[in-house]
Amino acid sequence: MTASATVAVAAGQAPARRRRRRSPAPLAAVPLLVFTAIAFGVPAAAMLDGALTTGDPATGATAYGTGNLTASLQGAYRTALLGSVELSATAAGLAALLGLPLAQAVVSSRSRALREAVLTASSVLANFGGVPLAFAFVATLGNSGVLTRRLGLAEHGWSLYSFWGLVLVYLYFLVPLMVLTIAPALDGLRTQWREAARNNGATTLQYWLHVALPVLAPSLLGGLVLLFGSAFAAYATAAAMVGSTVPLVTLQISDALSGNVLVGQENVALALSLDMVVVAGLVMAVHLPLQRRSSRWLD
Amino acid sequence: MTPTPTPTAATVEFRGLRRTFGTTTALDGLDLTVAPGELLALLGPSGCGKTTALRMLAGFETPDSGSVLVDGRDVTRVPAHRRDAGMVFQSYSLFPHLDCVDNVAFGPRMRKTGRAERHRQAAELLELVGLGDKGDRYPHQLSGGQQQRVALARALALRPRVLLLDEPLSALDAKVRLTLRDEIRRIQRELGITTLFVTHDQEEALSTADRVAVMRGGRLEQCAPPAELYGRPATAFVAEFVGTMSRIPGRLHGGTVEVLGHRLPVDGEAPAAREVDVLVRPEDLRVTADGACSARIVATAFLGATTRLTVRLADATEVKADLPTHEAAALAAGDAVTVAPRERPVLVAARPA
Amino acid sequence: MAGLTPLTRAWRPAVLGLAGLYFLVPLAASVVFTVDVPGRGLTFDAYTRIIGTEGFLTSLLLSLGLAAATIAVVLLLLVPAAVALRLGAPRLRPVVEAVCSLPLVVPPIAFVAGIGTVLKWGPEHLSRTPLFQTFVALQNPDFPVVLVLAYAVMALPFAHRALDAGLRAVDVRTLVEAARSCGAGPVRALVTAVLPNLRGALMNAAFLTLALVLGEYTVAQLLGFRPFAVWIVNVSGSQAQMSVAVSVLSLLVTWVLLLALAGAGGRTPGARRARTAKGTP
Repeated sequence: MTASATVAVAAGQAPARRRRRRSPAPLAAVPLLVFTAIAFGVPAAAMLDGALTTGDPATGATAYGTGNLTASLQGAYRTALLGSVELSATAAGLAALLGLPLAQAVVSSRSRALREAVLTASSVLANFGGVPLAFAFVATLGNSGVLTRRLGLAEHGWSLYSFWGLVLVYLYFLVPLMVLTIAPALDGLRTQWREAARNNGATTLQYWLHVALPVLAPSLLGGLVLLFGSAFAAYATAAAMVGSTVPLVTLQISDALSGNVLVGQENVALALSLDMVVVAGLVMAVHLPLQRRSSRWLD
Repeated sequence: MTPTPTPTAATVEFRGLRRTFGTTTALDGLDLTVAPGELLALLGPSGCGKTTALRMLAGFETPDSGSVLVDGRDVTRVPAHRRDAGMVFQSYSLFPHLDCVDNVAFGPRMRKTGRAERHRQAAELLELVGLGDKGDRYPHQLSGGQQQRVALARALALRPRVLLLDEPLSALDAKVRLTLRDEIRRIQRELGITTLFVTHDQEEALSTADRVAVMRGGRLEQCAPPAELYGRPATAFVAEFVGTMSRIPGRLHGGTVEVLGHRLPVDGEAPAAREVDVLVRPEDLRVTADGACSARIVATAFLGATTRLTVRLADATEVKADLPTHEAAALAAGDAVTVAPRERPVLVAARPA
Repeated sequence: MAGLTPLTRAWRPAVLGLAGLYFLVPLAASVVFTVDVPGRGLTFDAYTRIIGTEGFLTSLLLSLGLAAATIAVVLLLLVPAAVALRLGAPRLRPVVEAVCSLPLVVPPIAFVAGIGTVLKWGPEHLSRTPLFQTFVALQNPDFPVVLVLAYAVMALPFAHRALDAGLRAVDVRTLVEAARSCGAGPVRALVTAVLPNLRGALMNAAFLTLALVLGEYTVAQLLGFRPFAVWIVNVSGSQAQMSVAVSVLSLLVTWVLLLALAGAGGRTPGARRARTAKGTP
């Protein structure tokens, strides 16, 4: 009696388990995939298509070709691309250098409140600063900014709308981004590593040189390329700081799109966009493997 | 290939160590001496200060007062990286970016030993811990037990005069724990190095150590060889912390105590009150199915050669008794039985309020 | 730690002090800028006039509406997919992860260039088809659905990361199986056992999306819509003080909201406790 009941239960369970293995779970991911294909895939395809389509203004005929791409790498566009790369590299490098000690100071602090305050402020500034950030700097260091007037900075040749002015503004969201990126890695540095190093005769300096920095290296590099990508893609900040004399690829795209400079440059704008995607793709291609290695070490 | 034994085994002395963290007292005047070449286990519940004592010897903590002496030299203020004490941590202490050889060779590298020489040493040490063929592996490619072996090799790389083991087995599977425990003992004997072994596992301490120091609330309760600790515990705390112990109500009559209808001599000091608890090991209780049968078996647990019975006495006290399994076969839960103590001196303790 | 020299002890306050200076001065200066107007002395005009200014309420409400819609879309798309991946389809994981990271590869300005091109197909090629109505509806200036679509795509990486961190901390499979063995059906198991444990992660994802939408400028400006961020820039030409006042307010409000969220959720995903050795408080 008992035995046969057990058998029946077991027999009843087996098909249930098999059914679950062939469960409809993958279907739950379908809406996400379909949505991305339409809302992201179609515009991306349109951009690709437009970037590779050259139109003849005289006849209106169009043909596929690399004409736009070539154009996007010449003249003012080339200057803008290089300007963006130079600005992004400088700002990202500085931000990484400054962000590391700040993150370490926050992470190693015993005050939980300080930590939460800095990390949340960082995530506000890093991701969503854009326009407000630009205005805060205009009010502070712009031509009629508070510090500019009070300290008479203009007489010393200061201009916010220069290369270094933009670097200073970009640091305001890049340093927080660095803090956010590197803080988990610093958290992942185990106390035991420091103590084991000390136990093996390492001084504090030797510990940082031979253990902490090598272990952090993938995260640091990963953070650096991420900062570069973020600076490279930034538009709102630069656009809101009207009057910037620094040539940037994002500003060029917006000008070309809105026909500010020349009519009929839309496809060159799309080609420039494609250039940006290539750069961003390279950034991710470098970042992801670094991220993976870092998480293998630090988790 | 025999690794060079440690030149001179060191004596370690803790003198009146005191340390408080905020409101908690980690160490409350610890005095302890470890003999040269001895493996001494620091045993106690969590928070008893055993780890703090070990970390003071390693140089990771500074006592509020008291001192740490190695071979008579006061090292209390010597920074951690000049302590000459190799330490194995609980887990995860290997440097993830270095392979096994480089992990083991880390210390010599800090001391500017040449590359070839330190790699030769590292290979030797890896051989000693049974990982001679895993030198080029990275920590994440090793099992937990293998990682701790490498950590042991690394701790020995600077030829320390003292070896410190901070619960090195607690993160491992039961089986690996047993083999590694024996391995540690073998290597320690081979090198003759003075060793402190922190653990909260009494079986681990009793089976490995030359002497076991039981700590409680930042103080030393008793320090003795395992057999003595088990057979002649100095305090009720030690008696109950080490091995299994049942408390049975009894009544003092001068130097004897009356328990379960028997009069037994009292071992050690007795409390002032007449009504006391008598502490009895499971193997010191006899259980028979004849006689008055005032007790009842509540549960039986098969342990192999012996079977452990949980018996409820007439006054509702539950006691544990071990019987040879062939004798216990005749008994089952629910049976009425008689419980009697073996005739030998017993420890008594004040009855908790 | 034993043996700290005064120098190594002083580095932390020094670093924190310098960082505080750099990050607080622009905010403080902005406040000064808004209340100390040259020629007018101390005045709080910039703040008191905000509400009455043309476009403020409409643009703010538009942004909030867009944010609500975007959050709904993002969570409805992501939550089922993320939970399902944990439960029954681990092989789809890399696909979903790749899909959710793709938007990071296309900068917003490049993305909007693509969207603009697609939207132009409407009048150019589709004016005689029923699809045209869809295109018109997408670009309704009162509630541009196209922005919701774009923002949902842009929020995917952030929201996915937040959800994933939350899911990693929870053993979804065991939770579901435990609930099932207690007699709950599959849907009930999800709603009663899994979602409550993801509350923090859901809040985080929702908040990141909210902040992204409120601050978004690039896409909206280039497509010619006028939500909050675009309004700030537009108004700055004529009312410099007020645009700065609104900027500072929006930064501070976002930060305070996020802090409150961190307090309510207990821990932010990035705030993994450092493992401290035993015996050290």
